[in-house]
Amino acid sequence: MGRLNQQKTIVNNNSYKFTLPKGDDKYINIPIEIKWDFLGQGDAVEEYQQNVVEDIVGFPGDFEVLRFAHAPYSSDTKTDIKYNFHFFSDLQPDSNGNLVPTVPVNPSTLVTTAPSNYWVTSYVPEGFTETEIYYYVKSFTKSFFKLDFYDSKDTITQTNYFTVILPVQQGFTVSASTSPYKPSVQIKIPSFKLDYVGDKEGFFLYWLRNKKFLNISKFYMTAKFFDARLGVFVKMTNTPQSNITSKFMFDPEIYFYYEVRLNYNEKTYEVWDNSVRRGTSVPIKWYEYINP
Amino acid sequence: MDDIRIVLGSLRYKTATDTNLSIPTPLVQNTKNLEEFDRSIDVNLVQIFDDERQKSTTFRPVCKFQVLFNNSYTGATNYEPLENNLYYINETALTLKQCGASLNSVQWEGFPQYDEFDFIRSDYNVSGYTVPIPSTATPPLQPMVHVDFVARSASTYNWNHFVSYPYKNIDKVMNYYDGTNPLTPSLVWNAVDGIPFFVKIDDSTGASIANGITPNPLLEGGNPIIRFKCPVKHGLLESEFVKIKLSSGYVNTFQVFSFGDGLPGTDEYIFNIFNIGYSASIFIDGDTGTFKRIINYENPNDTTSKYYVIQHKIITDVNDAVLVNAGFEKNIFGTKKKFESPVYTPNNVKRVSIKENAQSYTLSFNKDIDVSELRDNQKRPISELYITTIWKGYFGLTFGSVDNNGNDVGLKQGFDFNLSPVDNLFNTPQPWWEGNNVESNFVDSNNNPYPIGYYNTPYGTVNGAPIDFTYLKSLKSGDTINGNFCEWNDYEQKERVISEMYHKFTFNSDLFDMSLMDDNNNQLGYYYKPNRRMKIRGFSDYIETGSINSMAGVPDYSYFSTTYNSFIWRDLYTYGFNDGLGNGVDYPFLNGKHYPYENFIFRIIPEGTNYIESNLNNYATLYGAAQPTKDNCE
Repeated sequence: MGRLNQQKTIVNNNSYKFTLPKGDDKYINIPIEIKWDFLGQGDAVEEYQQNVVEDIVGFPGDFEVLRFAHAPYSSDTKTDIKYNFHFFSDLQPDSNGNLVPTVPVNPSTLVTTAPSNYWVTSYVPEGFTETEIYYYVKSFTKSFFKLDFYDSKDTITQTNYFTVILPVQQGFTVSASTSPYKPSVQIKIPSFKLDYVGDKEGFFLYWLRNKKFLNISKFYMTAKFFDARLGVFVKMTNTPQSNITSKFMFDPEIYFYYEVRLNYNEKTYEVWDNSVRRGTSVPIKWYEYINP
Repeated sequence: MDDIRIVLGSLRYKTATDTNLSIPTPLVQNTKNLEEFDRSIDVNLVQIFDDERQKSTTFRPVCKFQVLFNNSYTGATNYEPLENNLYYINETALTLKQCGASLNSVQWEGFPQYDEFDFIRSDYNVSGYTVPIPSTATPPLQPMVHVDFVARSASTYNWNHFVSYPYKNIDKVMNYYDGTNPLTPSLVWNAVDGIPFFVKIDDSTGASIANGITPNPLLEGGNPIIRFKCPVKHGLLESEFVKIKLSSGYVNTFQVFSFGDGLPGTDEYIFNIFNIGYSASIFIDGDTGTFKRIINYENPNDTTSKYYVIQHKIITDVNDAVLVNAGFEKNIFGTKKKFESPVYTPNNVKRVSIKENAQSYTLSFNKDIDVSELRDNQKRPISELYITTIWKGYFGLTFGSVDNNGNDVGLKQGFDFNLSPVDNLFNTPQPWWEGNNVESNFVDSNNNPYPIGYYNTPYGTVNGAPIDFTYLKSLKSGDTINGNFCEWNDYEQKERVISEMYHKFTFNSDLFDMSLMDDNNNQLGYYYKPNRRMKIRGFSDYIETGSINSMAGVPDYSYFSTTYNSFIWRDLYTYGFNDGLGNGVDYPFLNGKHYPYENFIFRIIPEGTNYIESNLNNYATLYGAAQPTKDNCE
């Protein structure tokens, strides 16, 4: 709208022509009609609505898990992962004078002086006899190794995101005697070589394929052995206590964990210990931890 | 305001005077509140789920394979790693023969074990075959092993699995052998020319002609007819038309009069036209030709079918496939295995050998399949994915021959009408499968055979040279392979599979001697179907049409009929909708992805399973088993 203070004929709004009387100021309504609207108002409303709904109910996250296999090594020709679990034993001479692992009577005392060869890959020091192992008694077959995967080493804040179970039915065997009157037999030992074929339970780690929900590329692995004979868990360290200066007062972040690195592109994982890859030609070694 | 014209008063007519005019022209401000339904919505989880589902274009296909395999061919070998690992036959006689004979002079006989065909090889610990035997020489020689087993490759040594989709339509030369002449194809045609046929105008046979018997014209209900026999299902309906092209070049359109020759099961393979007295020079008994189906002869542009071979494009790589044993599932045929006593083995090692197994497998993929950018062979949004399985044969027991030009003969391909042997004894494959026939090569988009890889082992020689162990090099994402022979009709907007694609592999005769059955140029072998359909979207049962004056709602994949001046298409059903006719899909949707699932039976088919019934002196003279038809009593 414009205010006119002239006594002339004006032409406005294209072809409109008006003659104005002299005298008072006159006002004229100029028909500048403005019909304005947001461009794509409907779309904007819909988008806004979508955003609000997303805020309220969330978006469709991807919680699908995928299997991560042990990363190849040895020029990509091998993929197996090796675990050796060592139980604390008391080495005592047998009838021939050879030192053989036995169940320690007072482990918390013995561990203060025992050298590292007192930790052996055998179920015998844990209390299972060769006969029980060979005949797969329930207390043996119901036992298992439990690998827990945490997001950090800090026991206060860490979260256990997943667990892998290694059954005792897997693993290598050694020759053993169940009776002096019977031929020797092959019994299981807690030494595993897991791969795509053969023993494969625990070989694959199943974890989220998409990092959007939980962006974790590095896990920290601990190990326990569930002894079904006694119904207790036996905790494991990555170093025999004989090699730890302070056998009961050490930093758990150093001795209870291996680092597991996930490769989301290749869908593989690697196990590391102090910047050295483990599980390949050098097995991942776990040692029974003896409480004071 | 555009229509208002204001004229000065004195100009309105001769004596008119000027007058003040006032035109109320308001400054209009149109402001409006958003409608109630625009401002607030109900948060409905079911609706939100469905919105997300309809919007998602990402798929994670999963399937289960039940492998059906009858280990059918025995052979002999003295290639040590294979000889020590056969499922033996005649082992008693061979053991006696071995006594006193020089080393390697006796070829042990048997079946290759099931691991040679299994989806996941489990023979990872066989000394000398998959585990190296270290050399004891000084300095040490190459360890003795056929293939140093890589566990990661256990699921890719024999077979490779991919996801593919129908990418485009191509032409292919096709041959059909009906057994009348084992060496010459009875029909040779191009896929785009349609469906081939033999012409029959009278009741003559080879024997009647030889005996000088005058043939009688073919009649049906007293009406003279001309009969057309097809090696595949013709796909015609009553009152439809056929555009026939004879070997002479004669082309014309006829209405179908009837189907079959009166024998059960022939309706789908034989059609007849009314013979109004066509010149004997046009239709000649025994002549051949091709036809195309026409629904409406007044509108041949839109209603004539097109014929083609589908070309698939592979969209995953070998390592994207995750193949695992399927829980506890076994097929009903069980495992056939036996104990090989050490006395009855060439290396005196006891073991259990397996001839056939029953394990099922689950296949999934690491890679998400986004179909938003993909169009099928009809330029429509993707409605089907295919699980493609290709024989690789890395252990080198198959392939190995060369054609007349010295080129390697690898995997061969053909259609189901090529599977039947051409003799009664079932030991002569159709010449289609000969190594020299380039039309049956397993080829890429440039029609070049997919390459063959080689390796040698420390064991065995042929003519003083190391044995070449050959295998098909793995395909990769972006490669193309040929698929089914199909018919498409624009008017119906529907595709029909006329004949399915099969692959064939044969044994390496340098390695595995099948005696009389291993004609080097055309051996007996195993067939399998490479492509298995996984439906991910359904097209409507009805056909939509749209005018050019109202384009809203017309999808971009619609067909424009110049005759009707309108668009024709089938609607894409939404996910989760089923029209009751099996056209929709409803499979899980979670994680923002679709999870289509299928159960597949994977048959590895030995020669002779498919046959031409005429060779068995049966009543049907066409390829394919005559299926009993339901009559009015049933």
